[in-house]
Amino acid sequence: MSINLTNIHKGYGAQVVVDDVSLEIESGELFVLLGPSGSGKSTILRLIAGLTPLDQGGIALHGRDVSLLPPQQRGVGFVFQNYSLFQHMTAEQNIAFGLEVKRVPRSERQARVTELLQLIEMETMGKRYPHQLSGGQQQRVAVARALAQRPEVLLLDEPFGALDVKIRAQLRQNLRAIQTQLGVTTILVTHDQEEAFELADRIGVIDGGKLLEVGTPDQLYRAPKHRFTATFLGNANLFPAHRNGSKVYLGDQHLPAPPDTDHLTGQPVEMMLRPESIEIALNPTDLKGSVLGQATVTQLAFAGALERVTVQLEDRVLQVLIHPAQSRQLGIRPGDRIWLGVQEYHLLATNHHSGAG
Amino acid sequence: MRKFVLIGLVLSYAGVLLLAPMLALVINLLEYGLDTIWAAITTPEALLALRLSLILALCSVMINTVMGVLIAWVLVRHQFWGKRFFNAVVDLPFVVSPVIVGYVLIVLFGRQGWLSGFPVQLAFSTAGMLLVTVFVSLPFVIREVMPVLAAITPEQEEAAFTLGASHTLTFRRILLPILWPSILYGIVLTLARSLGEFGAAAVAGGGVQGVTETATIYVYRALQDRNDVGAYSIAVILGLMAVGILILMNWLRPQEGKKHVD
Amino acid sequence: MMQTRTLTTLNTSRTPQMIFWGVRWSALIYLSVLIALPLIVISVEGLRGGIWSFWDSITRPAALSAIFISVWTAALMTVINMIMGTLTAYVLVQYRFPGKRWLDSLIDLPFAIPTLVTGVMLILLYGPQTPIGGWIEDQFGMRIVFSSPGIVLALLFLGYPFVIRAVQPVLASLDIHQQEAAYTLGASSWLTFRRIVFPAILPAMITGGLLSFARALGEFGSIVIVSGNIPMRSQTAAVYIYGQVESGNLAAASSVSLVLMAIALLTTLLVDYLARRRTAHA
Repeated sequence: MSINLTNIHKGYGAQVVVDDVSLEIESGELFVLLGPSGSGKSTILRLIAGLTPLDQGGIALHGRDVSLLPPQQRGVGFVFQNYSLFQHMTAEQNIAFGLEVKRVPRSERQARVTELLQLIEMETMGKRYPHQLSGGQQQRVAVARALAQRPEVLLLDEPFGALDVKIRAQLRQNLRAIQTQLGVTTILVTHDQEEAFELADRIGVIDGGKLLEVGTPDQLYRAPKHRFTATFLGNANLFPAHRNGSKVYLGDQHLPAPPDTDHLTGQPVEMMLRPESIEIALNPTDLKGSVLGQATVTQLAFAGALERVTVQLEDRVLQVLIHPAQSRQLGIRPGDRIWLGVQEYHLLATNHHSGAG
Repeated sequence: MRKFVLIGLVLSYAGVLLLAPMLALVINLLEYGLDTIWAAITTPEALLALRLSLILALCSVMINTVMGVLIAWVLVRHQFWGKRFFNAVVDLPFVVSPVIVGYVLIVLFGRQGWLSGFPVQLAFSTAGMLLVTVFVSLPFVIREVMPVLAAITPEQEEAAFTLGASHTLTFRRILLPILWPSILYGIVLTLARSLGEFGAAAVAGGGVQGVTETATIYVYRALQDRNDVGAYSIAVILGLMAVGILILMNWLRPQEGKKHVD
Repeated sequence: MMQTRTLTTLNTSRTPQMIFWGVRWSALIYLSVLIALPLIVISVEGLRGGIWSFWDSITRPAALSAIFISVWTAALMTVINMIMGTLTAYVLVQYRFPGKRWLDSLIDLPFAIPTLVTGVMLILLYGPQTPIGGWIEDQFGMRIVFSSPGIVLALLFLGYPFVIRAVQPVLASLDIHQQEAAYTLGASSWLTFRRIVFPAILPAMITGGLLSFARALGEFGSIVIVSGNIPMRSQTAAVYIYGQVESGNLAAASSVSLVLMAIALLTTLLVDYLARRRTAHA
């Protein structure tokens, strides 16, 4: 186990920022802490780095209890949201700073800096000052600076937050490549679910200081345990439902109960339908999955690669995503009656609502 | 049209107010001829006075730089009861009459003073003159350093901490280079104020020729003694130092556009 | 597995803690001693003989007139300075002209030059034996040096940078669009200055003016040379205190010191209050 958080807790006065969080992260894993702003995710990162003192709980890095150690002795690399490069030092000097502190001999230091500049593909820019670098370049220097001492753990606080969309995508791939190559255990904090999906081995969803659930991107997208996770990671149609026997009842309709949901029997649940897992057909026989019922199209909107169709099924409004080609083929318009089917759906316990606490 | 009227008005005002007096001093001095001036400057009393001025100013700069940075640090970074009050009164030495400052020293450490048993003789001594000079030039470094220090984001230091740098190393390698221009500017202002101090030093030191006589006190006494050439020549030397300081100030003046963008 | 526990201290080693408290206390004690001592000494000495004796000391004609001369010359300087200083700052920010850099540099001269030297320069320019001083006396029957106009002149020299350096950054940071908006609404440039620019720079003008006022009240070096030290006519409070100290009349010196110090302290607090109010609004 590379990073081990045991019931960590942090509050400021009556305000609880991190509420009893426990987490285990494997060596070499890239773990993403995902949550809205103010959810406490950055504070967790600062607690691990020792920048914010812990109220309760324990933090171990590679089996070493660091809960009481100052940041200098924790051996973590930290990349700040605004990079916090030392403005009066060149890129090289920034990267070399940590090695200098550790009294690494000059020749070795120079070699390491060259190696890192290559790693971030900035060999020719070592002599530049931060204000002579673009945002993306500054970010890469910050990553290199954090990696210079070969830390056991790399912590990144919203590292793409200040960059524009185009550069962001490219730097994500760079970061993922560097992380895989070095195999350094990494925690990245973000509020961007797309970023989390693209980078993470596993994601921890955090809200109101609580770690709601942990899983692979696929698990969390398809089968979230919490309503918050369902809605924060992509769009979700959520409807009250009821599981009984081998069936799920959604109003008058009933569908086969998904596997692994026996424990939800008899209690109020919510059914989650991802917009892209709903199908639309003119005849019920054309549907591949289970039939949901007949609905009315209320709105059609172009949404890039897919088309967003808003439909009304009895008193429920649903968002559906279909291919524009299919939309043309069906020739649907607002007011048309169509049939809805569903291939994949998921149940979550209603009492888990209060994730936002 | 209005533009030229305004510019002309300002230039003539500044010229009459600032430049004309300087010219008057230089012209009056040069009438004496260079030999006389050189003789006046190189009298032992004049040289001693200049030497004392320089020593006092340098000591005052050293003390106020160290203590100024320390005080600025505490006033910006620490939270404590009465911080607002301290912040407000830091400027007091700047506005209290120097005569009063010198007088207070005599009241405290004079022969019948409150603290007359104090082991170091402060009244009518160079040590006392240093103390009042330090006092009158106290706010400069503090006032220059404070806003720069307040603008430094904690992440700069935190980044150094996570890289293993101790508090002292972080201060030396990260904060000091950022603060340095403002400290230097403060030092130059302190130097100017210390070199030019007259009232406080005159009262505190008693103005004993060759012992507690600084350059400014020398000029004053020379005028009283009708030694005009002595007074004017040392005044011009002080003026030249001021011009040097002015050049330094302009070179060091924190420039608005050059601020670091974090 | 680690046990949950309550942590009382972090950043384990003792040294940063000791440095922290050492820095705090040395700074605060140093500051308190330096600032408080003059306040305490002058208050105690000034009121040593009781409030009535204090009152007698400062209402003596020479003392009263010295305080009065100090206050009115400083006040007159402040008014002129606020106008000319603002004008200078405006010209420096708004216009480009040859010599602009020189002017901008020269403005700090009063901060750099010993005030005593200022005094010497002024008597050499405006003294009765000089061409200019003599001409003014012949033409207007007015003496500059050894008289109150000389004091005001010395204070104007001294106070010139204060308002400029306070107003300049505010003017420079002023949103040009506000002025342009006013022009598009048909406002003349004078009206725009009066209604848009002036309200924005007024706080800085007042702060700079007050600081120069406080600084001028205690001025000694230049005035002792320029004023000629004639009691009741050109003797300011600081010069009066100096004279009383020299002649061993400490009670009189203390009383007038207390008055000067009180005005200086009040002005400092007022400046601080105004600055705070300004930042609170921003």
